[in-house]
Amino acid sequence: MTAPPPRPLAEKLGLLRELDLFQGLSDADIEAIGHATTMTHCERGQQIASPDDPPDRIHILKKGRVRVYRMTADGKQLTLDIYEKGTILGDMALLGQQRLPDAYAEAVDDSVVCTITPDELRRLVERFPIIGVNVISHLSRRLSDAERDLETMAYARVGQRLARRLVDLAARFGVATGEGTRIDARLTQQELAELIGTTRETLAHTIADFRRRGLLDHEKHSVTIRDAERLAEIAEGESD
Amino acid sequence: MSTAATGVAHATPRARTTDGAEVPAVSAAQMAEVDRLAVEEFGIDLLQMMEQAGSHLAELARRLLGGDLRGKRIVVAVGPGNNGGGGLVAARHLADRGATVRSVLSRPALRLSDAGRHQLATLLAMEVSCCVATFDLDDVELADVLGGADLVIDALLGYSSSGAPRDEIGRVVEAIEAAGRPVLSLDLPSGLDADTGDVAEPAIRAMATMTLALPKTGLLSADGPGRVGDLYLADIGLPTALYRRLGLDVGTPFATGRIVPLAISA
Repeated sequence: MTAPPPRPLAEKLGLLRELDLFQGLSDADIEAIGHATTMTHCERGQQIASPDDPPDRIHILKKGRVRVYRMTADGKQLTLDIYEKGTILGDMALLGQQRLPDAYAEAVDDSVVCTITPDELRRLVERFPIIGVNVISHLSRRLSDAERDLETMAYARVGQRLARRLVDLAARFGVATGEGTRIDARLTQQELAELIGTTRETLAHTIADFRRRGLLDHEKHSVTIRDAERLAEIAEGESD
Repeated sequence: MSTAATGVAHATPRARTTDGAEVPAVSAAQMAEVDRLAVEEFGIDLLQMMEQAGSHLAELARRLLGGDLRGKRIVVAVGPGNNGGGGLVAARHLADRGATVRSVLSRPALRLSDAGRHQLATLLAMEVSCCVATFDLDDVELADVLGGADLVIDALLGYSSSGAPRDEIGRVVEAIEAAGRPVLSLDLPSGLDADTGDVAEPAIRAMATMTLALPKTGLLSADGPGRVGDLYLADIGLPTALYRRLGLDVGTPFATGRIVPLAISA
């Protein structure tokens, strides 16, 4: 599938999912941060964010689930997505995050949300420079991902695109097991297909082909790379 | 890829159009290969195919509803994949042709495929009613919406899904079945296995099914014929040359029209 042109609705609030802002901090530090930022306990149905909020703040969902929705022309709600614990949502331009236009967020069940304003983030970076380093790593990875995605989309075939993405995911999320490197990125086939710019059907076909060739095993939401060397060759476009 | 590798069997069930032309049925794996070739080798992108699928689906709905869409209430049940995207295209055409359309998504909007989100954005700009089952409609409201429909379009699951419809999708399938209104399924009734024709629980029992490009073997086997209702084949613009690459002799099923009735070949 060729990617349709970007549209506001296609932008995801969850772009920051992979960012672990607090990586490298001790439990005591994180505890201290918890005290320094606004931690809100939300009841089911309570609003967490709205288009009227001041810009440039992020919410870290510590507990519970959040429903993000917009109002449609007939005055009804249209649910855009449901986010689970651990998700960072918001529109902090500093982190390369864009606001989903006119989106509201409310708690689906009893939730705890940690909200960080730009001022608070600045203070946190001064006190815990590792947070600044994490932000820089995140941004530089996004930049290099974007550059490589452009190149990959333009030139590589689906098999090569899949191989590249798997090699990349294995480096980031891979766990060594007896059978090979297991990737627990919790990606659905749809999400993986979108990442490599193809259809779910084509992805399923390509995965089946890789499995037949002994390159990987695939179970629900989990891929185990069995022949990393050969997969890396395909990723480099040496043969497919 | 060779035909052997994609599993073309000689005992493939066949269907016949009203003018007697035989059309081979394909497995889900073969259809995935057809889609892949269309996009990668023939430059026919997904949005092109989806547009034709949805526009034909709206046209077939018009015929099934007596020829005039004005004032007809149609609910389009939309799955997260590209089958759902086709349903959203149909919703656009139906609304623009005078029907009162309500799109009911089975999962949150951003979980739709890229192409599905593209179609949804257009519908929202047109101010066509769209909501998500489970989150925006409770069970009673969903039953009311479905119960008041002149026609329900089932665009929940396509040929690439297998097993019983689960979670939110399963709930929508159950609600459609409970409502007992006439259902037009896109590609195949949700819950029917595209390869074997085995029916899952829950599954849609359609009044009519419009399958795309080529019939899937499951429509013609096992429980399939009892679930599809009247079976139609619709043209999404895939060239004969593409089928030839896969060793499929498809002929010219659309010589007399772009939506043709299909009967199972003896």
